Amino acid sequence: MVVNEALRILRTVRYDAAHFSVFLQAGTIAATAKPGQFVMVQAGDGLRPYLRRAFSVADVTTVAGVPGFELVVRAVGVGTEALGRFAEGTPIPVLGPLGVPFPIDDLKQSDRVALVAGGIGLAPLVLLARRLAERGIPADLFYGGRNESEVLKRPDFERFLGAHRCRYATDDGSLGKRGRVTDILGSALEAGTSYRRVYACGPVPMFRTLAGMLETAGTEGSFALESEMACGFGVCLGCVLPGRDGRFHTICTEGPCLPPTAIDWSRV
Amino acid sequence: MSAVDLSVQLGRLRLKNPIATASGTFGYGLEFAGFVDLGALGAISVKGLSLRPCLGNPPPRICETDAGMLNAIGLQNVGIEEFLSEKLPKLHALGATVLANVWGDTEAEYRAVVERIGDDPRIAAVELNVSCPNVVKGGMVFGNDPAALHALVAAVRPATRLPLVVKLSPNVTDIVTAAKAAVDGGADVLSLINTLVGLSIDVETREPKIGFTTGGLSGPAIRPVALRMVWEVRKALPNVPIFGIGGIETVEHVLEFLIAGANAVQVGTANFRDPGVCGRLTRDLAGWCERHGVSRVAELSGTLKTRPRPEKAYV
Repeated sequence: MVVNEALRILRTVRYDAAHFSVFLQAGTIAATAKPGQFVMVQAGDGLRPYLRRAFSVADVTTVAGVPGFELVVRAVGVGTEALGRFAEGTPIPVLGPLGVPFPIDDLKQSDRVALVAGGIGLAPLVLLARRLAERGIPADLFYGGRNESEVLKRPDFERFLGAHRCRYATDDGSLGKRGRVTDILGSALEAGTSYRRVYACGPVPMFRTLAGMLETAGTEGSFALESEMACGFGVCLGCVLPGRDGRFHTICTEGPCLPPTAIDWSRV
Repeated sequence: MSAVDLSVQLGRLRLKNPIATASGTFGYGLEFAGFVDLGALGAISVKGLSLRPCLGNPPPRICETDAGMLNAIGLQNVGIEEFLSEKLPKLHALGATVLANVWGDTEAEYRAVVERIGDDPRIAAVELNVSCPNVVKGGMVFGNDPAALHALVAAVRPATRLPLVVKLSPNVTDIVTAAKAAVDGGADVLSLINTLVGLSIDVETREPKIGFTTGGLSGPAIRPVALRMVWEVRKALPNVPIFGIGGIETVEHVLEFLIAGANAVQVGTANFRDPGVCGRLTRDLAGWCERHGVSRVAELSGTLKTRPRPEKAYV
């Protein structure tokens, strides 16, 4: 059930000038949010930013014993910057949980899955890692960023999945392999690792490359897609991406988690 | 419950209160059922319906602007048949007052979609969209040419006995000329305004932020323009009922439109920001009227007190 509620900011944790986590009080959203789902957050009631912003529910957790949930944010514009400036205790309007989550109910403990994160695309994969760990489903993380300091939430991933299952790639080689996240996933696939499903979130070029790799390997994927949206619940029709069937897929309600085969990546 | 009479009469169209939703911002209404009592709204103008389903424009379709947004959705909709068979029965069961917003590429398509609606008693009025700036044909092509607008409304008029609302484009030199053309053609009610054509640019790529290049500007940024147009049309056509539309967020904004001359309002982009906004506005309007001793909200319409303008420049 989608609710529109005012939730207080429990804590804001800064990683660097551009990245931070906002922890919001749980409200009724945290208990029902599934990995891959998102919330629409109104960063202030003013006219700039005017629209709400969409954020993945990154984790469901507690802050000093208070139940809450986490958003991991990269400040890229007026909305994301405004969200980082609120004092702890400030109530902000939050709508959610929204959208189609990652499909995980069909997984068994004998399955093995991969999580692929590019940049700020780590966000929805933290809660996914937590839930997979709770169910004892083995998962390998492949996480690419510009440099070591932009690889966020490492301790959480390594706690949930095991450090030996977490592999990194950075543009400058400061953490893991120098190169792209799709390179290290490709190496694993070439070495004969096979996955029941690959869950991914990241920028469009990563999605495009990964979609091709999974198609070649015959591996199922679920991508948490991003698109600018005004409403988040299927009415503005602003967030569409072109589908292979010739239709436009409404990312907020048909997604954000869709199989890569649903999207016509040549037109994105 | 309040003792205030919130009902308003727009020609033959009677609404339980003056808070309606604007087409394109409220889906088919059902998407909002968890946030608003659809039966308690003045009216719901549904997403613009065409004879056949329409896929809309390729993305990117929207971008935020200061105090508003641009959109070029391109009138994506399920088509009149699916609306009548799948959406309308549910809206009717929830007690919604439905405005069927319709459009076409040609005069014949407009007429055909209105004929399909006919006199359907589950629909309170037909609203002609002659003002969408985001389609290549139709839409604003009619709204920007008074003669074409007159001909279109006159051609559609015989296709239904339901009240005919015409939603005008603000992208004209003189809104009164467009309003008169629509009324002369047979419009019972006018909706003003649709979005203003705008452009937003990504300076890094030097590309427009919207795939269609231009888009329709909506939100609080356009409210003063909308109010001015409502006021002008009310002065020129004092007996023609008006839906005021443009950047309404609070009860003060509703009141501004009523005072300027609207008989009811349609709330648009604010629904994206706050899906419960229309329910809140209805309650706030009743509260405002109570506090100000207004027993009938309809009394407020067209009560703007203007000062005389100077006859010559002060030099």
